[in-house]
Amino acid sequence: MSRDPLVVGNVVGDVLDPFIKSAAMRVIYNNKELTNGSELKPSAITNQPRVEIRGRNARTLYTLVMVDPDSPSPSNPTKREYLHWLVTDIPETTNASYGNEIVSYESPRPTAGIHRLVFILFRQSVSQTIYAPGWRQNFNTRDFAAVYNLGDPVAAVFFNCQRENGCGGRRYNK
Amino acid sequence: MWSSDQQQHMNTRNMMSSSSSSRSSPSSNSSVLVPQAPTAKRRTMEELWKDINLTTLHQDHRSYHRFPGDGSSPSFRNIILQDFLAKPVNQALAISPPAVEEHYPPPKSALSLNSGLEFQFLAPDYANSHSSSSPNASFVSSALSAAVAGPPSPSGLFSLCSKRRLLPDNTTTGVDRHHKRMIKNRESAARSRARKQAKTQTAIYL
Repeated sequence: MSRDPLVVGNVVGDVLDPFIKSAAMRVIYNNKELTNGSELKPSAITNQPRVEIRGRNARTLYTLVMVDPDSPSPSNPTKREYLHWLVTDIPETTNASYGNEIVSYESPRPTAGIHRLVFILFRQSVSQTIYAPGWRQNFNTRDFAAVYNLGDPVAAVFFNCQRENGCGGRRYNK
Repeated sequence: MWSSDQQQHMNTRNMMSSSSSSRSSPSSNSSVLVPQAPTAKRRTMEELWKDINLTTLHQDHRSYHRFPGDGSSPSFRNIILQDFLAKPVNQALAISPPAVEEHYPPPKSALSLNSGLEFQFLAPDYANSHSSSSPNASFVSSALSAAVAGPPSPSGLFSLCSKRRLLPDNTTTGVDRHHKRMIKNRESAARSRARKQAKTQTAIYL
């Protein structure tokens, strides 16, 4: 069984298909680089992170997607995946602020359970117009990539996030 | 060896790995639900189906649509349902209808053990509906068909099977709620294990 944290954490499976990493993406919250499977509080992620894409060819463009597959709760993810951020046309060697923000960054505020939050990077073959979905919930990264011919992801990283304080109380699910 | 194999299989399912390869036939999946020894099931299967008949007949005249939510029957039902679903579903289906049919004559005398009063109520019912499929048989067989239709999809197997175990009666008894809760707890534990492993794997690679 693969030991890749993305596989172990079921990100590959719930959100993505297996892929080969071919881009160097760094996600930086509060001057700290994000590592797979780490845990951040909502207060630490209220503002959008700096997402750098290292490389040599500034003509290569990338699309960044940030989703929460465990919305509203991991045991009942009826809103999987909840789209938090969508930026396109990010040139290699720069960061996400140079791209086209299609869906603005929404600060994650999980109420129930421990949510995974995933950043996915796609390499664009051309500069293309990508339309914002009508709503954030029930976004499907796989379908999105298929519709816009983005191909397989080239990089991904995820972290965990739960309520700032306490557990939110008992849920009386059916 | 069989039970530990099933246990491991159950753990794999709990990890929500969708890549279980060779064991994903519906019949083997349904038998994963309750990892108990198979031989004990076969022996008591006939008696349990007889008991199902007894309880359904027992309450037939009182309340056709409901099992009592409390009292002695739920645990009774619990054993029956678990045993039923522990078997491969095809086999269970094949066995139970003849079991249901052939026990119509004997319960007449067995009923008298439970309650002499009810026996008098039920005797005329027996006489009328002996040959044709009585409401009891259709009740039970509809439960069977509901359960048979259950297992096919492998994803989310546990939750899917637990929903199918509800008899046509819509109210969930305490037993089903406990079972659902148990499944949810196991899924949560599996997620927690996955989280922990993801953290350690990241630490190794860094």
